[in-house]
Amino acid sequence: MNTEPVPPTGRATPPGLLLATLVFWGWQSGWLWTGVAMGVILEAARFLPLRWELTQADFQRIWNFCFLLALAMGIYVFSTNDPGGGPAGALQASARKVSVSGLDTSMTLLRQLPVIWFLFVAAQFFSAGQAIPLAAISWIARRRQQQGTGMEPEKHINVAYPYFMLCLYSAGIHTNDGTHLYFYGLCGLLTWALWPLRARKAAIWVWCVLLATALTLGYYGVHGIGQLEQFANNYNSQLLARLLQPQTSAEVSRTSIGKIGRLKLSNRILIRLEPLNGSPVPTYLREASYRKYYSQIWQTAGKSDEFQTVVNDVGQENDWSLLPASTNLATVQIANYLTGWSKESSSAQGLLPLPSGTARLTDLPAFELKKNPLGAVLAAGPGLVIYQAHFGNGATMDEAPDTNVDLLVASNEVSAVDQVIAEMHVASATDREKMLAVQKFFASKFTYTLNIKNEMKAYTNSTPLGNFLLHQRSGYCEYFATATVLLLREMHIPARYAVGYLVHERTGSQRYVVRERDAHAWCLVWNSATKKWEDFDTTPAGMDNPAPSFTRPFQDAWSWLRFQFAKFWWSQGQFRKYALWLLIPVLGLSLYQILFRRKRKGRSPATASAKLVPVDWPGLDSEFYRLETRLAARGVPRLPGESLTHWLERVLVDPALTDLRQPLRELLRLHYQHRFDPQGLSPADRERLAREVKACLDKLNQ
Amino acid sequence: MSTPSLEAARQTSRNIAANIAKIMRGQTAPTRQLLAAFAAGGHVLLEDFPGTGKTTLAKALAKSIDARFKRVQFTPDLLPSDILGVSIFNQREQEFKFHEGPVFTDILLADEINRASPRTQSALLEAMGEGQVSVEGDRRHLSEFFFVIATQNPVEFRGTYPLPEAQMDRFAMQFTLGYVPPEEEVAILTAQEHNHPIEELQTVATLADVQALRSAVEAVRISAELKRYVVDLVAATRTAPGVQLGASPRASLALMKTAQALALFDGLDFVTPEQIQALAVPVVAHRLVLEPQARFSGTTARGVVLDILKQLRVPA
Repeated sequence: MNTEPVPPTGRATPPGLLLATLVFWGWQSGWLWTGVAMGVILEAARFLPLRWELTQADFQRIWNFCFLLALAMGIYVFSTNDPGGGPAGALQASARKVSVSGLDTSMTLLRQLPVIWFLFVAAQFFSAGQAIPLAAISWIARRRQQQGTGMEPEKHINVAYPYFMLCLYSAGIHTNDGTHLYFYGLCGLLTWALWPLRARKAAIWVWCVLLATALTLGYYGVHGIGQLEQFANNYNSQLLARLLQPQTSAEVSRTSIGKIGRLKLSNRILIRLEPLNGSPVPTYLREASYRKYYSQIWQTAGKSDEFQTVVNDVGQENDWSLLPASTNLATVQIANYLTGWSKESSSAQGLLPLPSGTARLTDLPAFELKKNPLGAVLAAGPGLVIYQAHFGNGATMDEAPDTNVDLLVASNEVSAVDQVIAEMHVASATDREKMLAVQKFFASKFTYTLNIKNEMKAYTNSTPLGNFLLHQRSGYCEYFATATVLLLREMHIPARYAVGYLVHERTGSQRYVVRERDAHAWCLVWNSATKKWEDFDTTPAGMDNPAPSFTRPFQDAWSWLRFQFAKFWWSQGQFRKYALWLLIPVLGLSLYQILFRRKRKGRSPATASAKLVPVDWPGLDSEFYRLETRLAARGVPRLPGESLTHWLERVLVDPALTDLRQPLRELLRLHYQHRFDPQGLSPADRERLAREVKACLDKLNQ
Repeated sequence: MSTPSLEAARQTSRNIAANIAKIMRGQTAPTRQLLAAFAAGGHVLLEDFPGTGKTTLAKALAKSIDARFKRVQFTPDLLPSDILGVSIFNQREQEFKFHEGPVFTDILLADEINRASPRTQSALLEAMGEGQVSVEGDRRHLSEFFFVIATQNPVEFRGTYPLPEAQMDRFAMQFTLGYVPPEEEVAILTAQEHNHPIEELQTVATLADVQALRSAVEAVRISAELKRYVVDLVAATRTAPGVQLGASPRASLALMKTAQALALFDGLDFVTPEQIQALAVPVVAHRLVLEPQARFSGTTARGVVLDILKQLRVPA
């Protein structure tokens, strides 16, 4: 140990700052009294003489405890917010009040950070050293300490300012009350905190101006970001909404038709697919289909297309029949994430991507399953569902066409559609010939591209779809599918617009993955002969597959890990319930270690050097010490490193003591012999020492 | 209470001190320290500016004792054999004969020791540490009173080789003489108007007296508490800030022995904390190696020891 420890990195906060900050945090986050209590405890350390000698191991234990606490808090918050397995329903309900989604989950955690780390900070404030050894919290520093020679000075840090920043950060997590109270509080506390740290060589007004500039810049910076976001939202809300929300809505599909620029979709893997028992692989996985098209938006017909609840099979909790009495079915196992949120069932929900003609779903751990007349199946359940879809070539779930809706072409698109029909020369053909003609028309005269050029702007009179049909003649699936539906309808063939995914990427022998960029749109066409809806895709081949980037294997590996974790997480609801209970004994053990370690001494800071005094040396019973105390009381106390002889000569300078000079020197000699001569004093001399000290004391007291 | 042998030894030391005081005016404290080291059997290094009387002090001590005295003037071209001795082929007897060097004596004055090369300085190492020399494979024992007084100019002076730490550690004490007050200096001038008074210095002690003095020093008692104080003092230098290399246990030993000698001179039969405090700087300071950074910021080894003396609680 070094006699003079290296001063800690970081400084102590000015008095009262942490109290004010914690009160501010408590006020902003709704735990006012908690904040007040924590602040008072921390500030009390300045006045109370109570101190504990905490070693590096102690700090390490407290750090571990706080870390475990944060972990437990995280598990608690996550498991109560997630469906399918919280410790208790009651907790679930109360927890949900403050947080309704994953985003809020992490916010709850961040808001509680000052509470979680309070113990650690309090440990520093009430420790004798007033700083925390860096090796207690840093693995690197600990390694260095172990490898070193033991001669290096220990590095310490003071966590007061970091804790101050943490409180400010936590206080700012929730504030969306529309007022600027948080900002004003932040300004005040920051000024207070920075005041003692200012550069003394500069004038105070320079510091004030700089601080005001920084705060103003900060304010307008945050304000500006908000405005920019709003602006961006307004500018291209549909595209952004589409890109930011991967889940498909069963009611509305906002197409990107008419948008300029390159449509970018990521390589993220959304669905994993495995045909079972040698079943064929479905080409399309449909999520939803729509009937009405107007101004680039596909919609359902409204009331008549609302979802109906599907009841699960009798005795089979996870089996659901969508189409009764279907036989000779192929089976495919599908795994997909449910990314939406259902408020009614308080769980994740999403549309299931299903092959055409799906009749049954088995092993689907959904809480609730609904379907609509347009073939969309909405499941509420855990965030990841893995199930088997049984499908066949027979009928589909979709209702028979309603000629009012399924033949409807929006009036503003009619002229362009009619022009194209005229171009195709199919007036007297059969339905089948018409469809072939449409397909041939698109295949021969149109090109596929994800990059929509600016040229369309030239034709301001027509709709974006009209532009596509008459002038642009290149686009992506949404263009082709929409145009095809409208063309067929205009030729009196009922058709619908379907969205979903194209399955074409094989990984491994019998597994397929579907990425976000495999999202697709196509048509459903009513075959009046077989009374069936059939998939009809007119998008030309050559969907441009960009060369996979070198990061794709890493992305895929990450995606795989995420999938495995999700599989574990969502399928092990029971385990999650117990994870918290597993942590509690660990927390308890850690707390026990902190509280009941042997040999810790509580002490006041003033007695730091007291432990250097050995008490078992001979001669400490000498009466001379009474004399010393008496003489020191005259205003000449002995310094710790000052020998008695030297001190006595200083004392004897006082003319009032002239008479005592010789007797005192003689007494010191006797005292020294009593103390430092291994042979000690003879009994007579010992008695003389006691007697003469008493005589001297009497003289002094006269 | 003092036993006769202690009293006799005390008288011997007083005689020598008085004899030296005739030559070395105003240098009572250095003389006391020199005698303490001599009585404790430790070697002494005098470091001071040229002309302050280092050599005179050494010669005065040598002359006061009826002992063999030799002097070596260290120069850059001095070789180890110039100190230890050399074998020369005797043509008449057809064999090598060893001619003893100046190290075979009782009192050796190594003048300006830091002017010699480290190789020659090292030749003194074994002699000082173990009282013997190995020349051409033969071990030869030195006199049992072998005592080295080395003088050196401050290391920053031109043409000097600083002594290595190992050799510094072998000197029990290092101290300076310093300039004397003007009136003493006038007295020095007066004394040397005609001839140097050292020529007239008489021998006041025999080797037997010195032998008695040394055994008397060993008889001076020291308590366990003060031994602990010595150890704490020396140990504190090892962890003091700015110190690269602290003092060794050899320093603790030297401090204890010289303190015993000083207690004897002070008329005590046991050591008190005052003797230890008085000798801490000359015994410990020269063994410390300071960190360059601390040295540049003005820290001195002397300052480090003084600080420790102030901070460490002294037994009372």
